[in-house]
Amino acid sequence: MRSLPAIAALFTAAIPALAETRLEYNRDIRPILAENCFACHGPDSAARKADLRLDRREDAIAAGAIVPGKPAESPLVERLDLEDPVKRMPPERSHKRLKPRQKEMLKAWVAQGAGYQPHWSFITPKRPPFPMVKNAGWVRNPIDRFILAGIESAGFEPAAEADRRSLARRAALDATGLPADPALVDEFVADKAPDAYEKYLDKLFASPAWGEHRARHWLDAARYADTHGIHFDNFREMWSYRDWVISAFNRNMPFDQFTIEQLAGDLLPVATLDQRVATGFNRCNITTNEGGAISEEYLVLYTRDRTETASQVFMGLTAGCAVCHDHKFDPLSMRDFYAMAAFFNNTTQSAMDGNIPNTPPVIPVPARGDEARIAKLQESITLARKALDERRDLARKEFEAWQAKAAPRSTGSVSADGLVLSASLTEGAGAKAKFLVLGKERQVELANPSWVPGRDTGKALRLNGSAAVIPDAGDFDASQAFTLSAWLKPPVNAVSGPVVARMEGPPGHRGWDFWIQEGRAGMHLIHRWPDAGLKVFASSQLQPNAWTHVTVTHDGTGKASGVKVYYNGKEQPVRVENDRLAGAGTTKTPVPLRLGAREVGEPLRNMPIEDLRIYARALAPHEAESLANSLEQILAKPADKRGAAEKDQLFAWYLGDRDKEYQKGKEALASLEKEEISLRGKGTIAHVMQEKPGEAMAFILERGEYDRRKDAVKAATPKALPPLPKDAPSNRLGFAKWLLTGEHPLTTRVTVNRFWQEVFGNGIVRTAGDFGVTGEQPSHPDLLDWLAVEFREQQWDVKKLFKLMLTSATYRQSAMATPDKARRDPDNRLLARGPRFRLDAEMIRDQALASSGLLVPKVGGPSVKPYQPEGVWEAVAMIGSNTRDYRADKGESLYRRSMYTFWKRSAPPASMEILNAPNRETCTMRRERTNTPLQALVTLNDPQLVEAARVLASRVLADKSARDDTARLNVLGRRVLSRDFRPAEAAILAESLAGLRRHYGQVPAEAQKLVAVGEAPVDAALDKVELASFTMMANLVLNLDEALNK
Amino acid sequence: MDPITEAGLNLTRRRFFAQGAHPLGWAALGALTGKAAMADSGVPSGVAEDARPHFAPKCKNIIYLHMVGGPPQMDLYDHKPKMRDWFDKDLPDSIRRGQRLTTMTSGQKRFPIAPSKFKFKQHGQSGMWVSELLPYTASMVDDMCFIRSLNTEAINHEPAITYIQTGNQVTGRPCLGSWVSYGLGSLNRNLPTFVVMVAKPTNTEQVQAISARLWQSGYLPGEHAGVSFRASGDPILYLNNPPGVDAATRRASLDGLRKLNELTAREIGDPETVTRISQFEMAYRMQASVPELTDLATEPESTFRLYGEAARKPASFANTALLARRLVERGVRFVQVYHNNWDTHANVSGRLPDQCRDVDQACWGLIQDLKRKGLFESTMVVWGGEFGRTIYSQGGVSRENYGRDHHPRCFTLWMAGGGIRPGTVHGETDDFSYNITKDPVHIRDLHATMLQCLGYDHRRFTVRHLGLDQRLTGVEEARVVKELLA
Repeated sequence: MRSLPAIAALFTAAIPALAETRLEYNRDIRPILAENCFACHGPDSAARKADLRLDRREDAIAAGAIVPGKPAESPLVERLDLEDPVKRMPPERSHKRLKPRQKEMLKAWVAQGAGYQPHWSFITPKRPPFPMVKNAGWVRNPIDRFILAGIESAGFEPAAEADRRSLARRAALDATGLPADPALVDEFVADKAPDAYEKYLDKLFASPAWGEHRARHWLDAARYADTHGIHFDNFREMWSYRDWVISAFNRNMPFDQFTIEQLAGDLLPVATLDQRVATGFNRCNITTNEGGAISEEYLVLYTRDRTETASQVFMGLTAGCAVCHDHKFDPLSMRDFYAMAAFFNNTTQSAMDGNIPNTPPVIPVPARGDEARIAKLQESITLARKALDERRDLARKEFEAWQAKAAPRSTGSVSADGLVLSASLTEGAGAKAKFLVLGKERQVELANPSWVPGRDTGKALRLNGSAAVIPDAGDFDASQAFTLSAWLKPPVNAVSGPVVARMEGPPGHRGWDFWIQEGRAGMHLIHRWPDAGLKVFASSQLQPNAWTHVTVTHDGTGKASGVKVYYNGKEQPVRVENDRLAGAGTTKTPVPLRLGAREVGEPLRNMPIEDLRIYARALAPHEAESLANSLEQILAKPADKRGAAEKDQLFAWYLGDRDKEYQKGKEALASLEKEEISLRGKGTIAHVMQEKPGEAMAFILERGEYDRRKDAVKAATPKALPPLPKDAPSNRLGFAKWLLTGEHPLTTRVTVNRFWQEVFGNGIVRTAGDFGVTGEQPSHPDLLDWLAVEFREQQWDVKKLFKLMLTSATYRQSAMATPDKARRDPDNRLLARGPRFRLDAEMIRDQALASSGLLVPKVGGPSVKPYQPEGVWEAVAMIGSNTRDYRADKGESLYRRSMYTFWKRSAPPASMEILNAPNRETCTMRRERTNTPLQALVTLNDPQLVEAARVLASRVLADKSARDDTARLNVLGRRVLSRDFRPAEAAILAESLAGLRRHYGQVPAEAQKLVAVGEAPVDAALDKVELASFTMMANLVLNLDEALNK
Repeated sequence: MDPITEAGLNLTRRRFFAQGAHPLGWAALGALTGKAAMADSGVPSGVAEDARPHFAPKCKNIIYLHMVGGPPQMDLYDHKPKMRDWFDKDLPDSIRRGQRLTTMTSGQKRFPIAPSKFKFKQHGQSGMWVSELLPYTASMVDDMCFIRSLNTEAINHEPAITYIQTGNQVTGRPCLGSWVSYGLGSLNRNLPTFVVMVAKPTNTEQVQAISARLWQSGYLPGEHAGVSFRASGDPILYLNNPPGVDAATRRASLDGLRKLNELTAREIGDPETVTRISQFEMAYRMQASVPELTDLATEPESTFRLYGEAARKPASFANTALLARRLVERGVRFVQVYHNNWDTHANVSGRLPDQCRDVDQACWGLIQDLKRKGLFESTMVVWGGEFGRTIYSQGGVSRENYGRDHHPRCFTLWMAGGGIRPGTVHGETDDFSYNITKDPVHIRDLHATMLQCLGYDHRRFTVRHLGLDQRLTGVEEARVVKELLA
């Protein structure tokens, strides 16, 4: 593109006269026009004023705004300086002002012929020629040529090479995110071979920590987290995707394959389990289950998020603006955006996440080692199903004979086993009702009864407040199976309240109830609400103003999976609002059973009821059907008048109730299925993508609003970029392949830039997520293009790219800044010194854990909950959210790498958030790096880091080779900074240590308190005063500016 | 001073101005160089040049009391006497006009009207109608400005609360407090600029989520995010030294740390090292200033007579209101308080009195206290939810009890103090408190008006992000409601 880095212009001392300079549209002119003119005279057709476009040369000339070569005749130039505020541009109300030099530049550019260029990042990169450099001896690899050209043109010298210890620490942090292993550093320092550094790097790159560290960066872009994000913000079991990313980097999966599998692994011809897990990338968006939410609104938001994420991560395009209007600056129209969104719109995922950890579509992912047994079980299950089918066919004949004779009441009986309470509630008058309680009849007083027309000709009781009290029935524990059933006739407006309950008032609500939730039937079973309770109800409402038989069964597991709800004998899909009872404690309560109310609280109103029954066992499905009498009408017909569907219904009941052999087969199948479920329970699941049938399409939405649909558009790639390859399918797979085509100008550039940013702190394009017109220009455009082409030609080899960066002379420089460099290049864009910037949040914690030896190097698995101050979750979470109470783990889970810490989106890990970790709600391409007092409080006082300092101190004190304080402090130095302390430093440290010893010698009880921080055991052999003093020294060293920076 | 450190300091200072970096850092730097921070000079520190106010501010501080869940306006402030004759009758279609409903009531076959069961009276010179549930508030209506015609488009909590806090229904934008921090900067070098407190309601029947994302800084620099003050444990996360480390030990340890970091600054020449030194010093000062702030032992008895005895109880609304005054008194710009459990889908009569008891005297006490301290003129107090509630009942209706669904088309919010015209009642709704009939105020207009009081033209108070000049009021038209201004 250019022979000299554009950034050099920023650093040259004098600004050259404009007339002599060849102005470049992309570098010099477009930024001025984009800032001041394009909002009204750019690509957005809706916002365009005076029908004038200045972003396209032909339009600007046709409209007469520009006369090439003649600035005096070009209104573009002329109107900048008009007296008349009405005609002057930019207009008053835009609050835009051009600087005199910008006006000069526009004038000179028009004089030079007003040449336009396509936006730089939309031109396919080509390998540029190497620039000329003076100090060619400094160059180790091609990166250095481009960098050196910039350094020299700014009049700087490169910094000297960093000493081996500093370099070792820097490389370890960049390759693995962990401090250097002191033994490896010693080996590297002692190695006189010319390739000592390369060998050292190879060891780092081979460590599993490599994949973890790369994955940790990627997960910011992929917006990975462990909760759904909105409203309840419940747990989402998502970590198999995180493990996939780690493994992909550790296998050094080529980046093109990495792209395809994540965007469209499910659409590959023979998609493996792994490839489907990879599609979790598209499932990391935030979701809701808020009551009242409108599905279409959220489906639109989800698709938008997936589109924007893919667009930003792979193309550096901030597609978001085109959601509501044509992009003001980039040539991305609304139509382009929604056509691209169509690729991500064709999913079977529904709008409501259900507050469950496994929102469909999901697939099971077996635990390592269980794959074979699961495969075997699946075989057995298939066989058992087949046997069952055969038995059913045989039984059909016997059934036909039975049904020919069957008459009403043949099926209506349900064994009275376990019947603890029943009442018909059809007395029709008076203030008493007959109840059968534990086999004995009694008359029970009714409070203010009203009788309304019943199911048949009689009358039924209308529940309207607490109706009756029965102290001695239904005191169920969480481990007991039981059944609640009744005929109900809900009012027109859906009501909420208990049909029957045995439940205490707040705060604990211990007990159970047969609950109606806005017209949906279900139950609560509670030890202590909300953190030890169960709440399940049917997804659909009961039909208003009609009688429905409702049965709710609980199987004694205390789990939501053990609750079934039947309407008219048909099992209903359920919603689980709380599933945290199992194992928590008893649900028995001394309060009495109440009809229509709990002990305290709003009763159920306006609900006619008949035939209430409570069983101390879970009724089987066919029994629920029997209770509902749903077969009576069928049986009332003569046998030859019964339809096929009716007969099938009868047959299903018959098999369950009469055919013992069938029931035996069914039990055998159930036990196999149970084993499979339990094995699968040991594994995990993966949230995956699943295409709907039919062509991918989306609607253009006016102003981006879900209910203002305009044209339907088919999936397509943006017009300003190369076309979809001819053989590529019009779906996500086609989209992914398109990103990787040789002509695509963005994917390689954006990718190498992001990796560059990980190492050097800033991308070559600093706005790593915005390569559009509004993003920053690259500091070294030719280097960016060279790297982009190189990356592709090296088969998208990620480790190779990192090795290229880490072996460059550029990278190996010392971080020392001369005052001149610090003044003229404060952000180190020229790289005339080595990269130095604050460690990311996770690295700061990991460094403390690793240097103390506390770090548990286990790779992957479910997220963990290390120490966190109390109340961080509780302060923001809803009651009933399963991520409301933070309970820290014990043991090794306290000391895993920070990337495994459970990430709750509405309250991210507290210490990490303070250190600029994102909340992972949306794609983050670049973290902020602030420097605040709140961060100092974390690194000084976080118990995790204080404990690590204490354990680090124990190590130092236990090191037999370190016999005096100087040696001990150097052990500390080597573990954290990879080096010994220099004399000036050692003197300061010795003074601090002496003061601490004096202090803790006087107050040993204080020493005892300090060393008790954290769960790691304290070495009893160590003197507490010494240990406390060294703990504070370790705390100091971990807080050094050098320790907090790489 | 050492020449390299000196260069570093100059560089740092220049970069603060160039990038609008953090006020805390800048203030602390002032302390480090021996120069007085703004508190003495009267000029706020750390403000980006292009974010300076456009005209003289009418108010310096804001206390924003957000009632999470959406209070029912017709039971508190929007008196609708005609509804008494409409008990259990259906809301006429001519009023509802096919407006979208939440899926909680969109399936209802009927929309039976539930008149408020609470008694209303007119109060003060302004003649504002106030419910019997708010006797303290009723006694100060002439100090207040009521907007009965506020409206939004969002109908569910998450988008609605995000909207009124950040100007957009989709998460990710900076909230009001962050904008104020960004624009006006710090008034106290020892405390954060923007503080958030979550009050615990006495009644917890139907609390809603309050996400920490509500006080994040979005595309503004991270230091403008709200700092959460907690009711239990450390008031600021990690504020306290570990057990066994007293202030003197910490001081000695920090002295060693500073000396070593100064060596690093001299050797490496990275200006961030100098900033880091100052941040550790600032952290140390906060360790003293924050406990002083949250220690109510120094408050006289008269204070508790204002706010009520509940103010002694950590995390009660009254307690956060009192802390809000103490924060403002010490120069904290923006105090955001969230009070939960206003989402009365059912049982209005059981819950609303509890909710009102939590806030009524405390709000009155806060305003009397601000007056007493001479802070009322310079502090704006705002009270309101994220939307209103429906006149029709969700579920069953009786004379004694009813529930109300979300209603975005009108709700009542009040403001008082700095820049606000006292004794104002603005906007009217129809007999059903369903549609606005006069002077609608969109929440964008509210934002524009609040910024106006702080000295900003909302159209020009922008920050560049994703290539656009982003602003709190977004791309739609917004207007400053002059009638609300003093």
